[in-house]
Amino acid sequence: MSGIQFKNVSKLYQQGENQVLALDDVSLTVEQGEFIAVIGPSGSGKSTFLAIAGALLQSSEGEVILNGKNLNQLNPKDLARLRLEEIGFILQTSNLVPYLNVLEQLLVVKKMAGKVTKEDKKFAKDLLENLGLAAKLKKFPDQLSGGERQRTAIARAFINNPSIILADEPTASLDSKRAHEVVQLIAKETKTRNKAAIMVTHDERMLEYCDKVYRMEDGRLKHDNSFKHENSKRLSTIG
Amino acid sequence: MFLALKELKHGKFRFLMIGVITVLIAWLVFILSGLGNGLSTLSAATFKNMDAHYVTFEEGSRASMSRSLLNESLADELEKADDVSAATGMGATMGTVLNESSSADKEKVDVAILGITPGNFLEPDVIEGNPLQANEPLEVIANDTLKKKGFEIGDTLKIEGSLEKMKIVGFVENETYNHLPAIFTTLDKWRTIQFAAPGSDKGIKNPVNAIMLQGENIDSEKLNKLFKNTETVTKSTAVQGMPGYKEENGTIMMMLAFLLAISTFVLGVFFYVLTLQKSNQFGILKAIGASNLFLGKAIVAQVFLLSFVSIVVGILLTYGTALILPDGMPFSLDFKLVIIYSLLLLVISILSSVISVRKVTKIDPLQAIGRLE
Ligand SMILES: Nc1ncnc2c1ncn2[C@@H]1O[C@H](COP(=O)(O)OP(=O)(O)OP(=O)(O)O)[C@@H](O)[C@H]1O
Ligand SMILES: [Mg+2]
Repeated sequence: MSGIQFKNVSKLYQQGENQVLALDDVSLTVEQGEFIAVIGPSGSGKSTFLAIAGALLQSSEGEVILNGKNLNQLNPKDLARLRLEEIGFILQTSNLVPYLNVLEQLLVVKKMAGKVTKEDKKFAKDLLENLGLAAKLKKFPDQLSGGERQRTAIARAFINNPSIILADEPTASLDSKRAHEVVQLIAKETKTRNKAAIMVTHDERMLEYCDKVYRMEDGRLKHDNSFKHENSKRLSTIG
Repeated sequence: MFLALKELKHGKFRFLMIGVITVLIAWLVFILSGLGNGLSTLSAATFKNMDAHYVTFEEGSRASMSRSLLNESLADELEKADDVSAATGMGATMGTVLNESSSADKEKVDVAILGITPGNFLEPDVIEGNPLQANEPLEVIANDTLKKKGFEIGDTLKIEGSLEKMKIVGFVENETYNHLPAIFTTLDKWRTIQFAAPGSDKGIKNPVNAIMLQGENIDSEKLNKLFKNTETVTKSTAVQGMPGYKEENGTIMMMLAFLLAISTFVLGVFFYVLTLQKSNQFGILKAIGASNLFLGKAIVAQVFLLSFVSIVVGILLTYGTALILPDGMPFSLDFKLVIIYSLLLLVISILSSVISVRKVTKIDPLQAIGRLE
């Protein structure tokens, strides 16, 4: 089955004598075409959750199933391959490669998988055009605004046509107007390209673009119903 | 290659500095090996040039001409032995010559006087004038370094310690022996100079210092058994036996070895620091799916490109330097040696990047997540 599934996942950090239970029996399913948000106070385990979903960290207990593959059963090389082919990460603004221009930021991901074909180039340009970056293809990260950088990162996440999109505080360094634009774009791309997307955020104003909101507290994940009404209203206007 | 090239293009200044360091190292390696090679050529060029494969010395002389004395008739016997196609005696002595011709300045010149049989395989080809003649014992051919000292064809030479006057009939090139320009003369003439003092020939008739043998498949063990009181060695062993040759070469080799070892370290540290600075960036690339192989290849490709270009510049600089080196400076760098040292440097810099690659394989992609800078 496609999408991502957490089945009773726990993560225990061992730090000398101390143990931190960063994730406590988390279960959740995100289907294709679904955009969910995870909010919660600092230190509640959001980044840990995202790292496990992104195959960067192994769970201590429970299973993570990504497109039918059990992540606990893959070796590091296969995990790198899986990250390349099935997962699109949207990280912080500074996470672009400083010496590559906007177009190359996307093409380098293709390079990792092998050769860059003409179609790849065209797809990359189309993606960037969709995100309003058509005029910036040859610009380097230090010549872009924060919002443009984040949009480049979004395009990069989509270039390999992954089935899962993971975003770690994508709006942290943006003003509220840009933040709205960026999250709106993630929502739009997720819907039109039928991805499963998870966004970790501090910013409650961004939740209106998400289908479901989960709240993380002390490692436990709970579905939060309080945003539901507004969401459905908003969603119908995006379509 | 993609990442490597893009980064080189973007960070021109930073890589230029590392390139300059690599150029300097390559330059130093080439200059040093050129000088070392020049010095060893100077000390044994005549030996190295000779079309001989083996050399027979007196037993106990440890492959040194100056310690060895043999009867010339031994050459005829050796020539009959298995696998020996030709054998001929040779004598060497150091001396001082004076140009007696009125035109030249009265300056003494140190030379190596080599006695050979005219016309056989030990006699080098002249670049100017005529070769030696068996029936003209007072004629010599000299290395062209003497020409630079004002000697000319037809000039009269006086050899110190001998009463006879000799005449230069021809010049040869690249013939130096024991760091001195060589003068070739007949064996008989050489004997009158070398053994002027009565009894210095130890009673040996027609003495020579060594017998040079031609024949690639000579079995030196067999010759040692067959001929009492002799030892036959390869030509390269004989070159090693030249006075001071081993020590000189050892010093130069040591300097080169240290230079290469230190360069490895310097370059390694450079690339390592560069990699450390980028470790966050490598973490991000790994998080979005870059394999260790992909990143490792980028690093090695970058080091390769940088070193390759730097070495080429280093070679050009070296030949440029060779042009302006003073005349008497022994500098000789053949192309084969340049290629060997270039490859060595290239391999060394790539090896030095390996610690950086190791570092990259250890970077945890997790560090890209949940971090705001
Ligand atoms: N490598 C680690 N070793 C030990 N403990 C860790 C490690 N990483 C995180 N933790 C702990 O696990 C808990 C969850 O951390 P996590 O980074 O997931 O929180 P978060 O919700 O992302 O916080 P924030 O909103 O501040 O980014 C915290 O108590 C943290 O101290
Ligand atoms: Mg976090």
